[in-house]
Amino acid sequence: SGELYCSLLNPRHVRFESINMKNVLHWSAPEGTGNGVLYKVKYSVYGVGKWIRKPECRNINRTWCDLSSETSDYEEQYYASVKAFLNGMVSDWVETTRFNPLTDTKIEPPMLSISSTERSITIILTAPEKWKRSPEEESISLLQVYPGLHYNVSVLNKKTKKRWFFSISNHTLVVPWLEPGTAYCVSAQIRVTTPLLDSGFSKEHCIATLKDK
Amino acid sequence: LDEDALLPAPQNISILSTNMKHFLTWSPVIVQEETVRYSVEFQGEYEREYANESWIPTSECSLITGTVCNITEDISATVAYNLRVRADVGARRSEWGTLKGVFNRITTSLTPPLMKVIADGYHLLVELEDMGPAFQLRILYWKKGQERKVQQKVVKEVRSVVHLDTMEAGADHCVTAQTYVDAINRSSSFSQTQCVRAQGDKSM
Amino acid sequence: TAGNKILHFGACRVSMSMTEIRAGFTAIKANIQARDPIRTLSILSSPRSLHKVKSSDRCCITHHLLNFYMDKVFKHCKTEDSYVNRKISSIANSFLSMRRKLGQCHEQNQCMCGQESTEKFKEILANYEGMNVTSAAMKSLGELDILLDWME
Repeated sequence: SGELYCSLLNPRHVRFESINMKNVLHWSAPEGTGNGVLYKVKYSVYGVGKWIRKPECRNINRTWCDLSSETSDYEEQYYASVKAFLNGMVSDWVETTRFNPLTDTKIEPPMLSISSTERSITIILTAPEKWKRSPEEESISLLQVYPGLHYNVSVLNKKTKKRWFFSISNHTLVVPWLEPGTAYCVSAQIRVTTPLLDSGFSKEHCIATLKDK
Repeated sequence: LDEDALLPAPQNISILSTNMKHFLTWSPVIVQEETVRYSVEFQGEYEREYANESWIPTSECSLITGTVCNITEDISATVAYNLRVRADVGARRSEWGTLKGVFNRITTSLTPPLMKVIADGYHLLVELEDMGPAFQLRILYWKKGQERKVQQKVVKEVRSVVHLDTMEAGADHCVTAQTYVDAINRSSSFSQTQCVRAQGDKSM
Repeated sequence: TAGNKILHFGACRVSMSMTEIRAGFTAIKANIQARDPIRTLSILSSPRSLHKVKSSDRCCITHHLLNFYMDKVFKHCKTEDSYVNRKISSIANSFLSMRRKLGQCHEQNQCMCGQESTEKFKEILANYEGMNVTSAAMKSLGELDILLDWME
């Protein structure tokens, strides 16, 4: 029988992109459509009966929707779905795969704070925080979410071009007995063994030991 | 079909397992002017006890021409496995040749890690061989003459050069290491001890 | 990345190689979960999450769940994909090895079953039996990360 309405091609690549548990739904516009396409979004908690509409992502023309608030309980798993509209034409609902915030998030590298003396450098590492709704909300470090978290630290002597690696669980590393007046570049990575997650290495922070008095 | 039965099953089937890399080997089946191909299957304890003794084709060895099969990816639990291999020539197929006894990866032979100890100024470092994700490295180091004050560092991810400690000026420090595989809860023997000297002279 | 975990279940301490199980599951997670169209029911988490189980009951629940997966899940999850089947075999054999270790606690009476774990396990069985066997088994396998997250 004829279609009662024209159907629009579906949105594509509907997926969660998550960094430090900031969970944002992304998708691509239906093939061949330019501007003017509008979308609406719904999500559901896996194992719970109903889909829930996201009002802030109703009739939007952008191709992302921040669902961090709705998916902040990382002991649950989630689905999200997108539908497209254009000139009275409607697409199907297109769903993500099942999203597990605990295992499917990307962890950013740690923040580094470095200081030096004549013969040592001190590196203080800070793990990123879990996404939070507002600055006032209590911060949760990813260290609390992933108890097995530890750091790999790389220290490069710019003069000798030798690179050393340290693996530490606490957040401070002091490297003593260095050469005065020498530049060292430091970079660090976060490692979690189960689930297996690791951040990339951070940008290099360089510092020089003070010159011999 | 009788002609098929003439194709002999592979013989002398055995396992070579070192450092959690496991290989099944067998003697070639000789058929003049024909290419003989082999297929390998495995059966874990689960398959024997819960899945009607079913067999599973290995990931790498279906209709191969060699007589060695890397079964490392298939032997992925610390239980007893049965293994079997058969030969094919065109439409002709042999019976299965089965490994005598079972194989459990807990019996793999573990060799000491290759390592190179480095003194870089006052810093004691060690360059280690990456043996794969199943391995941790337990490194013991001490100041020469103070053998009772041995320190230990466990390295889970092997990076090129691992920093162990700082050394007293002009002092000799010694290092030895062993591998540890937590999946089978076993360690290798310790490597040969290597000693290096820190820069500077002892009076400093 | 060697990831042996010492799992503490009340007085019971068991060393489990979780990394291999996780790696095996991660490799087939999308494939297995795609075979489970039912979003509205979770075998392990409906109506109450495993995370609500008291610490003293964790050993018993774990023991029940390992048996559940061995007896009622893996054998009903054969697929047409030999890669997936191999990974399932790997996970199943690792579960067998894990259950053997946990069994030692059971024998030493360090794995007591309280009312809460008995109730929770009844819920899980009821969820399982409320579906046809293959769908229930595939759903349970797709929820392995829920079990692993909770165990760790």
